[in-house]
Amino acid sequence: MAEPTVRMSGIVLASLMFQHLNSDSDVEGLILGESKFEEQVTISDSQADHIHIEEVYNIQKHIACHKLNSFYNSVGEVDVEAVQKILADNKQESVIGWYRQRRNTDQQMTFREKIVHENLKSSLSNPHMIFVLLTPSKLTSPGSTHRMEYAAFISRSRQFMNVPVLVSNLGLLEQLAYWKVSAPCSAVGYNLTMKKHGSKFFSSNGLLREVNEVNKMNDSLQSELQKACRDVEESERLVETLQADVSALRRRVREKQQSRAGKEPVEDPPEQKNLLLHEAVRALFACSPLFTSQTLTLQAFPVPDVCCDSEQQDQDVSLSDTTAKDQEPVSPLNPGRTNCRKRLRELSVGRERKRRKSKS
Amino acid sequence: MNNMSPEVALHRISPELRPLLCSVVRNGRVGLDSTNCLRVTDLKTGCTSLTPGPCCDRFKLHIPYAGETLKWDIIFNARYPELPPDFIFGEDAEFLPEPSELPHLVQWDAGNPECLLQLVKELIQQYHHYQCQRLRESSRLLFEYDSLLEDPNYGRNMEIYAGRKNSWTGEFSARFLLKLPVDFSNIPVYLLKDTALDPGEDVALLSVSFEDAEATQVFPKLYLSPYALGGSSALHIPAFPSGGCLIDYVPQVCQLLTNKVQYVIQGYHKRREYIAAFLSHFGMGVVEYDAEGFTKLTLLLMWKDFCFLVHVDLPLYFPRDQPTLTFQSVYHFTNSGQLYSQVQKSYPYSPRWDGNEMAKRAKAYFKSFIPQFQEGAFANGKL
Repeated sequence: MAEPTVRMSGIVLASLMFQHLNSDSDVEGLILGESKFEEQVTISDSQADHIHIEEVYNIQKHIACHKLNSFYNSVGEVDVEAVQKILADNKQESVIGWYRQRRNTDQQMTFREKIVHENLKSSLSNPHMIFVLLTPSKLTSPGSTHRMEYAAFISRSRQFMNVPVLVSNLGLLEQLAYWKVSAPCSAVGYNLTMKKHGSKFFSSNGLLREVNEVNKMNDSLQSELQKACRDVEESERLVETLQADVSALRRRVREKQQSRAGKEPVEDPPEQKNLLLHEAVRALFACSPLFTSQTLTLQAFPVPDVCCDSEQQDQDVSLSDTTAKDQEPVSPLNPGRTNCRKRLRELSVGRERKRRKSKS
Repeated sequence: MNNMSPEVALHRISPELRPLLCSVVRNGRVGLDSTNCLRVTDLKTGCTSLTPGPCCDRFKLHIPYAGETLKWDIIFNARYPELPPDFIFGEDAEFLPEPSELPHLVQWDAGNPECLLQLVKELIQQYHHYQCQRLRESSRLLFEYDSLLEDPNYGRNMEIYAGRKNSWTGEFSARFLLKLPVDFSNIPVYLLKDTALDPGEDVALLSVSFEDAEATQVFPKLYLSPYALGGSSALHIPAFPSGGCLIDYVPQVCQLLTNKVQYVIQGYHKRREYIAAFLSHFGMGVVEYDAEGFTKLTLLLMWKDFCFLVHVDLPLYFPRDQPTLTFQSVYHFTNSGQLYSQVQKSYPYSPRWDGNEMAKRAKAYFKSFIPQFQEGAFANGKL
């Protein structure tokens, strides 16, 4: 479904109003500009794609007729030669409609206006034409306030419908939308300037130069990314291969050990300790009360710290020597000195450490 | 909307356009309801407010049509008075007549004062065709229209207004306005109190409103011009029969109206005959009588030296309805200071008697009633 809109700059609208204010009767003339039809695709959650056509009529200029009924007769038949004469040096293709201004009448097309509009469409072979109507009137009886209403009409199957007119410089038209097209301008000076300097900004395909450069950079980035992805993939495959080799070698070693030891039970290989992690924890949290165990009395009160003597130390050392696993390096913070009551609990890899509540 | 008299409108219109408007407001009778001229309101100008008047060149024209009033905007240009007018057809935005079928628009002549009026009539004709086309939305109503169209008595004098009763529900309604072919020419002409007012042609219009497309709610109404049969209230028409159609109903109403007209005409002649007979029988006893409508007669009579007045009032539907006799004493007064009188509405009477017989019988009745009246006057009145 087409959604027509008429856009007009404030200058053109003001010029139209000025023309009528200085005339002692109704005025009419031709409207020049350009019309665009764009297909808009909207994707939303409820609908995969919604296609609607936007019809935009940009009014750029108007040509006033010197007198009324100059290009049509009493029954609305259009005289194409008269239209050409009114256009003078302007091109017929730039005619997108006509206008009329009449005081103290309703904002409705009259009988003859409808006939003329249909005939103008067929005479100029342009099925998309607009009719702009301006109707000034007195708002107060003394004439201190006047009202100027304006509207645009298009016809579809001989049905005339009102089309919204957007005046470009009256506030922001689309605050949340991006400008999809630039505001067109038919001024000669503007076109000359664009021709002279345009090549610095635009490439041959009409896009901004920076856009092409960015696209190229994007392509390069994509290729680099793909290259990095390939390298990662290769190294991952290599790692996988090596791991498979290592597993195979280990299996062979185990089998050899088994065959050498006879029917000795094969023990699982000793658990590897993460000695570096262990070292780091001891260095950071050696004195933290959260990581030390406490001895409690029967009343659940902690037994205060007691200074360790060498005997106790030896005992602790001997206790700690009972298992080969419990070999722990001496903390660099407290070398050779351990608390007889408090001692660092051994941290083994993979075992969760339970925290005890401390009263501190 | 500001109502204005034709003179005010003509005074405010631009001088070059005055002749065109003059024929519209003075002679503009269009359509079936031609009792009133076309009306002009909302006179405005297309010139600037600095232009000295009178310079109005656009106005609203009120046109009676099928029981509705069309309000059309007519737009001229005071600076270009030779140009033909343009029109806005009010709420009928879809009405777009074919310009080639408007001869007075094709050959617009600003110098012809009748040009605008003729153009308006042509537009109304086109409007009528447009409304008839809209009847196609209802096959039932289209049948009503087609059947009436075939009858030359009604087809040529018919106006139709088809419109949506409710634009939201889309319920369709239509109104038929028919001019009934009844001859009122033999109805006696009455003198008017205001001789400047022209009552216009006597006309009987039948309006039938269909409130729905299936013709289940039909409301007929008869409009009589003021001087025909005493106005619309004088005649009651039958209700539209359920399941009936206009081609049967309209002739029925027409016949009823024709009979009534005949009755009124005959009643007039009968009254004239009655008065003539009383004049003949009572001669010098006649004090005065209605020499135009023959509805009243006053006699001054004497019986055994007792003088009394007899006022005879003849009703509209005489001789079907009996005349009223009012006996009045010339001697006796009532307490309120009026002459003592007695009204007699039932006495020997027959509508089949001719005037002569009625006069004779009345005379005989007077003789029989007067003694009783005299007694009453003496008993209840005071000298």
